[in-house]
Amino acid sequence: MAILEIKNLKAHFHTRRGVVKAVNGISYSIEPGQTLGIVGESGSGKSVSQLSYLKLLPSPPLKIPEGEVLFRGENILAMTEEKLRTIRGNKISMIFQEPMTSLNPYLTIGSQLIEPLIIHLKKSKRDAWKEACAALSRVGIAEPEKAMKSYPHEFSGGMRQRVMIAMALTTRPEILIADEPTTALDVTVQAQILDLLREIQKETQMAIILITHDLGVIAGLADKMVVMYAGRIFEEGPVETLFHQSEHPYTRALLRSTPRVDVLQDKIPVIGGSIPDLSQVGQGCPFYERCEFRTDICQITFPTSRKIAHNHETFCHVEKFQ
Amino acid sequence: MSATPSLSVRSLKVHYKLRSGFFNFKATATLKAVDDVSFDLYPGEVLGLVGESGCGKSSLGRALLRLQEPTSGNIQLGGLDFLSLHGEALRNVRPQIQMIFQDPYASLDPRMTIEATLREPLEAHGLWSGIDSQKNLEQLLDRVGIGKKALAKYPHEFSGGQRQRIAIARALVLRPKVIIADEPVSSLDVSVQAQILNLLKEIQKELHLSIVFISHNLAVVKYIADRIAVMYLGKIVELAPKDHLYSQPQHPYTQALISAVPIPDPRIEKFRKRIELRGEIPSPINPPKGCSFHARCPIAQESCKQHAPELKNYRNSAQQVSCFEVK
Repeated sequence: MAILEIKNLKAHFHTRRGVVKAVNGISYSIEPGQTLGIVGESGSGKSVSQLSYLKLLPSPPLKIPEGEVLFRGENILAMTEEKLRTIRGNKISMIFQEPMTSLNPYLTIGSQLIEPLIIHLKKSKRDAWKEACAALSRVGIAEPEKAMKSYPHEFSGGMRQRVMIAMALTTRPEILIADEPTTALDVTVQAQILDLLREIQKETQMAIILITHDLGVIAGLADKMVVMYAGRIFEEGPVETLFHQSEHPYTRALLRSTPRVDVLQDKIPVIGGSIPDLSQVGQGCPFYERCEFRTDICQITFPTSRKIAHNHETFCHVEKFQ
Repeated sequence: MSATPSLSVRSLKVHYKLRSGFFNFKATATLKAVDDVSFDLYPGEVLGLVGESGCGKSSLGRALLRLQEPTSGNIQLGGLDFLSLHGEALRNVRPQIQMIFQDPYASLDPRMTIEATLREPLEAHGLWSGIDSQKNLEQLLDRVGIGKKALAKYPHEFSGGQRQRIAIARALVLRPKVIIADEPVSSLDVSVQAQILNLLKEIQKELHLSIVFISHNLAVVKYIADRIAVMYLGKIVELAPKDHLYSQPQHPYTQALISAVPIPDPRIEKFRKRIELRGEIPSPINPPKGCSFHARCPIAQESCKQHAPELKNYRNSAQQVSCFEVK
């Protein structure tokens, strides 16, 4: 059974310049032990789609006019703030891109690590301290006792991200939302952090929602993936399928235009134009302007889901585009 | 390559003196950002400069332009001793070497129109000649895919990719022979990144430019560069033509670095063996004695802790490696 199910979620920002439809009706689900990769370029809505239902964005300007987000069958959007607090940072944990801005520079690592344990799991300070130390050594920090008494600035970027992971895991979450967890890190450190996430998932069977623009990271970590563009889902399916038998022109173009370290490319095919202004996107397909296979209908309505296989869906009017 | 290099760098060092305390004017430590770097850049060649954060690649790029004065060493630019030039003589040479920066939001003045931005370098060097120059600007903007309508606009009216096109036009306006591009596509989305890479590649070929392309992204460098220098803690540890570097990397750091880059294909990526490196780059303030990589190196010997290897040709090939264990 799905642990999280998102149904037709919309997240709109009401600004002076108009309504920005950052997330415009998306649906998908994730199961325990699974890693779902959400891929998209900037402004695709990949982060907002997660932050919005957890009420981590200021509202107003954010409004969620439609949609359901079911966590173990219960609609998060209908929950009281009090109820949500028992889930957010507890059953659903998060790690972000920039570990320096997510950690409080004034507080020691220790005092930040024990907080979720005391608040969510009602532990005593002493037990919390012990558990936090164990969590730190689990994520590969050599002297946990010493680290607990240190401040964030004393750590390197990779170490801070390890601390963030330890913090996210202390409450034994069922879902970990990782929003560009390795984007600010060097590749050799990135490899270490991705390995760590993989190992921990094997042990705990938690579900991971991995948000990234890096197709290589998705290829290595995710089981299932969702491709987003301008607030819409364009394609959803197993990672293997989307990388090799994609049925959407954008997914294909994105893969083709990514430079690769293992292939000598003479010329990379490009996607012309740029990402549309989200306040100007109408009812049609937002990729219309840039799509080489566009037809008249694409400008008028956004396509409904087309099933390619039981677990592979695409949102494209054009059925044969290659 | 027998041609005279457009840019020839020998034993270049950029050391920053660090002071501790507020009124303490005595230097307490030295940060060796660039430490004894030598290479040649030939006409029409793109040299990739890769490495992780803190390896000194940006400091090196800035030193090549004398935006940061090197501590010691030698730079020959088109046969001239670049570091010995001052005042008027330096000004006269500067148009030959230009720069493209990473962040097109920060590198364009928000209060200047695109025309003013592009005119400024010409006027500063006394090269503005009215109507002809104006025509050249229009052609240049067409060439980078922006169009002359942009002249009267301001940077905020353009997207990141378009701004980077404008930054490229600005770098080209003085008709340089050498361009230093510091992470020019790192802040762009994948779909836009490919456009800018292709544009740079085309223009480089048309104008027979020499480019030093600085990047942390090994896949991007593989696409655009002819030869690649890998930096670690202020030093070049390997320098090779790109087909050699990626197919037969010799330095253990290069090997680890390449193996750590994720490949966008799950059939390959899920089963790849990585060369794992312990820890992270040590501080360049007190770099380890001997080979700077020995603490993380999987094949380090006792002698690596004592002596630092030099960059040497590998088996008479064009590949240069700085490692005692590579024979």
